[in-house]
Amino acid sequence: MPGSVIVGPDAALDGAAAPETDGTIAKRAHYAPPWADLSIIGIAGSSGSGKSTLSQAIVNKLNLPWVVILSIDSFYKSLDPESSRAAFRNEYDFDSPDAIDFDTLVERLRDLKAGKRAEIPVYSFEKHARLDRTTDIYSPHVLILEGIFALYDPRVVELMDMKIFCEADADTCLSRRILRDQRDRGRDIEGIIKQWFTFVKPNFEKYVNPQAKVADIIVPRGVENHVAMSMVSQFIQQKLVEKSTHHRAALIRLEIGGNSEPLSDKVLVMKQTSQLRGMNTIIHDIDTSSEDFIFYFDRLTALLVEEALNNAPFVEADIPTPQNLTYAGLCFKGEVSAVIVLRGGAALEAGLHRVITDCKTGRVLIQSNIRTGEPELHYLVLPKDIAEHEAVLLLDAQMSSGGSALMAVQVLVDHGVRADRIVLVTYSAGRMGIHRLTKAFPEITVVVGNMVQDIEERWVERRYFGC
Amino acid sequence: MSDVKLAPTQCVGPIYRAESQKPTATVSTEVQFDALTILPQTPQLIALLSIIRNKETQRGDFIFYSNRIIRLLVEEGLNHLPTVEHTVTTPVGRPYDGLVFQGKICGVSIMRAGEAMEQGLRECCRSVRIGKILIQRDEETAQPKLFYDKLPEDIADRWVLLLDPMLATGGSAIMAVEVLKSRGVPEDRILFLNVLASPEGIRNFATRFPKLRVVTAFVDQGLDASNYIIPGLGDFGDRYYTR
Repeated sequence: MPGSVIVGPDAALDGAAAPETDGTIAKRAHYAPPWADLSIIGIAGSSGSGKSTLSQAIVNKLNLPWVVILSIDSFYKSLDPESSRAAFRNEYDFDSPDAIDFDTLVERLRDLKAGKRAEIPVYSFEKHARLDRTTDIYSPHVLILEGIFALYDPRVVELMDMKIFCEADADTCLSRRILRDQRDRGRDIEGIIKQWFTFVKPNFEKYVNPQAKVADIIVPRGVENHVAMSMVSQFIQQKLVEKSTHHRAALIRLEIGGNSEPLSDKVLVMKQTSQLRGMNTIIHDIDTSSEDFIFYFDRLTALLVEEALNNAPFVEADIPTPQNLTYAGLCFKGEVSAVIVLRGGAALEAGLHRVITDCKTGRVLIQSNIRTGEPELHYLVLPKDIAEHEAVLLLDAQMSSGGSALMAVQVLVDHGVRADRIVLVTYSAGRMGIHRLTKAFPEITVVVGNMVQDIEERWVERRYFGC
Repeated sequence: MSDVKLAPTQCVGPIYRAESQKPTATVSTEVQFDALTILPQTPQLIALLSIIRNKETQRGDFIFYSNRIIRLLVEEGLNHLPTVEHTVTTPVGRPYDGLVFQGKICGVSIMRAGEAMEQGLRECCRSVRIGKILIQRDEETAQPKLFYDKLPEDIADRWVLLLDPMLATGGSAIMAVEVLKSRGVPEDRILFLNVLASPEGIRNFATRFPKLRVVTAFVDQGLDASNYIIPGLGDFGDRYYTR
């Protein structure tokens, strides 16, 4: 009866209900990644008042991957043929709030605020249309929304943590606009000036300027205003510290019960056979040559991956043998892919590819902050169809606090991977780390090579890569 | 063989899953011998066997997937070697209470199918010495006959991993063990690694050499009139080397 195999409940498992295992209900604890509570800063102001320059300057000053700028210009409506012709004659009013698709903007901002991935439209000023492709924003901690109407829609304003209005005198604005539109948007001077007096100026009086009333700060002279700039930077830094503190507190809260509660039955520790212990002895020995270390580590991780694959779903299959008889066997239900948690997880790749030669492999770079110890997401590339894969092996060499594993699982869940399809594979882990992880995500399976003390340095990757 | 339940069917999968959530498959026939180890019947192993049993499987896949099974066999086989406790210092300074293996090993493959298992052996034991034995069926007597052997000179001092993927009647394997014994290898220092066996073959072999450890991935249902294992996987050597 192929196809009748059920692999865990079919419903999405990110709701409040935890699955039942052996009659006991696993209690889910809440984990909030630092991007779950996004702070949004709005910067509005007349065209040419220095909004984007100010935003750029702030982001450059902070120089952190989790502070991003979103321009409202991305949300210009695609024009119908008539409006498009008007636009090419410079007779379409781009400086009216009607030109902006606020509904989509609000939707995307709400997604981001909830920690989800958001697809941002790409608008072409040359074609006056949205392009087919989109760009993704995922996991910023702070987002700067800039545009002439950043503070216009009350639904957007409601989502903001700080509202800034940039002021500049009209001459400055016009001259900046001429320079910019010629250089970046392929317009000619005549068209730019025509637009200014027909649309920009009247709209400024009517729609743009009134936004100053809802602003928290009004910044004159834009980027030259160093006091304003450092105020905003300080505010963002303070927000980042708050988020980091909350994140670390959330990680610590997950420790509750770590010493008393038994580990989930979905935590599978490799059977400590004499061969495994023998390999572990060589791997652990500080005097082992790096050649031997790599050989035995690869050999062991191939076994780990074999073990992990037992948790992928299989379906029944009748196999015709060369003797023309039938064997009642099994085959994989669907695709199995892997996600490497860098850098440690890359040490398991050789073992992975011995078992699945052409395994699709995503990569996530999560580093612990040197000062605070907080795990931080730096880089992320996942297979596009990862949400459809029947099992996703998440590979890391070691798990100590469980912080980066939690974050990596959260990333997968945010990308549509069902938690019960995730199998975390790690060479070694401490009890507390596993407890934290399975407390927040009781549906995932964990395959561990060997259990060690709670906090251990990441020495395996250092040995494997030799640095 | 009235004590043996042939071709049992059961649910396979991880322990945390309810029986109703696991697929069923035919698992290894259980044969009771102290010195017999059958690999755990995991869904993964069943799926690998399903691939190599399938007559539609191409040679490249046959080689890749049979190698994966062979590696699991070697890893399990090596567990039966003697060890001593050994504590080492780890790179982070804590002690690790481990163990080291004692004694030297070598592989001996029964040509030609056994040679297909050499790669899997080398992937676990890099520079292992490998001897070879050629045994073929004598056309006149229908009995296995030794044609050739080349074995490490110090084989009597080594543990021997004897390699043959198919154990049908057990004729050649028994003869190979006799060759090893004649070179001074004690029975209990031989490990026989095998992918697919018949209950008859296992019984013949294990009755003859009760102290010799046999590690197999699967004991199949039986033999057909021409002594082929059924439902089987065909001729292993042909599928690995030439077909």
